[in-house]
Amino acid sequence: MVVPDAVALREPAHRVSPRAVAYWRVSSLLSLLVIVAVATAVYLFWHPWPWYALAGTGALLVWELVNLAVMPTLRYRIHRWEVTPIAIYTQSGWLNRNQRIAPLSRVQTVDTREGALMRLFSLSSITVTTASAAGPVVIDCLDRDTARQVVAELTEITGASEGDAT
Amino acid sequence: MSEPPGDLQPVAQPDGGWQRLDARMLLVGPVRTLWQLLLPALVTLFGIGRATSDMPNWLIPIVLLGPIALGTLPWLTTRYRITESQFEKHSGLLNKQRLVAPLDRVRSVDLEASVLHRVMGLTKVQVGTGVDSTRIVLDSLSHSQAEQLRLTLLAASARRTTGPTTQSATAPGAEQPGAEQPGAEQPDPRQPAAPEVALGGVPTAPFSVPPTTSSPQLLATLDWSWLRFAPFSLTRLAVVLGAIGAFLQLGDNLRLITQDRVGAALHWVIGFAIPVLLVVGSVAALAGWVVLAMAGYALQWWDLRLVREAGTVRMTAGLLATRSTTVEESRIRGVQLSEPLLLRMVKGAELAALATGVGSGGVSKLLPPCPRSVAEQVGQSLLDAGPALRIPVIGHGPRARRRCHVQAQLRGLLLTAVLLAAPLYLNPQWWRWGAAAYALVIVAAVIAAELTFANLGHALTPRHLVSRYGATVRTRVALERQGIIGWVLDQSFFQRRAGLADLRATTAAGAEQVVIRNVPYAVAVALADQATPGMLTPWVGAPSGRHRR
Repeated sequence: MVVPDAVALREPAHRVSPRAVAYWRVSSLLSLLVIVAVATAVYLFWHPWPWYALAGTGALLVWELVNLAVMPTLRYRIHRWEVTPIAIYTQSGWLNRNQRIAPLSRVQTVDTREGALMRLFSLSSITVTTASAAGPVVIDCLDRDTARQVVAELTEITGASEGDAT
Repeated sequence: MSEPPGDLQPVAQPDGGWQRLDARMLLVGPVRTLWQLLLPALVTLFGIGRATSDMPNWLIPIVLLGPIALGTLPWLTTRYRITESQFEKHSGLLNKQRLVAPLDRVRSVDLEASVLHRVMGLTKVQVGTGVDSTRIVLDSLSHSQAEQLRLTLLAASARRTTGPTTQSATAPGAEQPGAEQPGAEQPDPRQPAAPEVALGGVPTAPFSVPPTTSSPQLLATLDWSWLRFAPFSLTRLAVVLGAIGAFLQLGDNLRLITQDRVGAALHWVIGFAIPVLLVVGSVAALAGWVVLAMAGYALQWWDLRLVREAGTVRMTAGLLATRSTTVEESRIRGVQLSEPLLLRMVKGAELAALATGVGSGGVSKLLPPCPRSVAEQVGQSLLDAGPALRIPVIGHGPRARRRCHVQAQLRGLLLTAVLLAAPLYLNPQWWRWGAAAYALVIVAAVIAAELTFANLGHALTPRHLVSRYGATVRTRVALERQGIIGWVLDQSFFQRRAGLADLRATTAAGAEQVVIRNVPYAVAVALADQATPGMLTPWVGAPSGRHRR
């Protein structure tokens, strides 16, 4: 097999909704608040803390702060998606990177999901599954209208094809 | 599993065509339930008998009658039927369960008979569908009924399967349900009557690769010289050790092993020279293992027959408990050849098929530990003579090797930390032992990493994607390229820095994915692009070519 030296997958064309940044930030903030609340409650009943409890909580807090400060923008830069008549392609992750491609002819279901907080930001996630449990393709945090369009497009294309290669 | 009955048609028969399980289950069910409850019951009897004064009398009828009532329930509540388009099963007393499977979704039919079933002339039927991993179980039917059901289901499935998913090269002989007499007089599914197995042209060698015909073709039978591989396969060892453990546990419960007896045994032992005892002990253990392993192998794989007929592949085996697996050949998306370390030293291998709705997790064992060449040849004939099992794999280069080492060392460090943290915290003076143990772990990790890297590789043949991996168990998976239904490229933070990626080809068969680990990113992209032409094309290009919206 000949491997060209500089072959790569181009990034998918579209970004997710810009409101996703705010959404990720708010959910990070919420989980940070929950952790602080729990830690405070535990501290009130049980103190002084041994060093390992302090270290563990400290590490958790630092991680949550990173999630709050850095993750949303980084993630927005990396999360991308694209749908062609042939395939759906997404890229996600912020420290790790995950690229997924599924041919539309093998798609079995197209689901949308809007969590309570996501609805506040008019966001919507699409999950496309194939016959393999290892291959669901998720587009996180699309603009609600875009999501509706994409789902309509996907169902139209997948409805036309037969067979799921099981 | 419960699909909406889209094209449910009323069936003409007066009783709706419903059938029950075999009436002999009224006997087998209670016996089996009693047997399952035997150990707990014994323990309860002994336990209660020892601890308190004695068991209350009113418990005895419950212990005896309960299982009998429970055992008859399945027969009373289970019904099944085959309609024009689907296979239906109703069961359950309180939680009613209605399973409906379209006939064209039937992928595999397994027949299984435990010793008890054999004595009673019964067979358990498991029907696999492509929908998910649950299978429809009928426990149990008579031999002839089960065999009839198997033929009917697979014939119906083959007839109704049309369209793009069927492989042209191995198109099932669709209108050929009668390759084997579906007669009710067949006493034993393992021994099809002589005329049906037209093996005249097949030489005595247990394999050959003629073009697919609808007459049964014998792919492999058990060769007794394969028994030599039995002691080198350690999966059975776990079972044996488990049994010994359970026995000790039972002994503990029944107070067979008491302080006095152990003390007496120790005195008796110390009377001998310890080295002699060690040697004799290990020789005895080894001999015992060899005998046990061979006996187990013979019991499990007695009269193994791997047959290809009418578009299906069927494996039957077993001396006391028998089982038979039938898979539609067009559903076999690939094969898996595994060579555990010990087996590799004696040039042995095991073969399994990757399909949808079969076995445990889509992997169905086809051959026991046997010579590697036989496994390769049988696998090759299942892959339509493709070279996927013989082709040398392409390694992943020095960066992958470094990554293997780093990962192994990290794992070793983590393991050591988890295991030694508590003891060292409690007894800091043991640090020398801890350091020695960690040194050993480091060496072991180096060896494991080298093994992993040596086995790591991939290849692409005209019809198959090949991945080889594993440290101790070297596994080669060949997946049909047409069975690939998507790709996943994973790069952890460190893999990105090293320019490596984990490439997963997703599929419906087997473990639902084939993973190629730590492959250079560019190679992964090129491989995926070549394996499924067109799927990635719009995005393959130079790494700098980004376009954004």
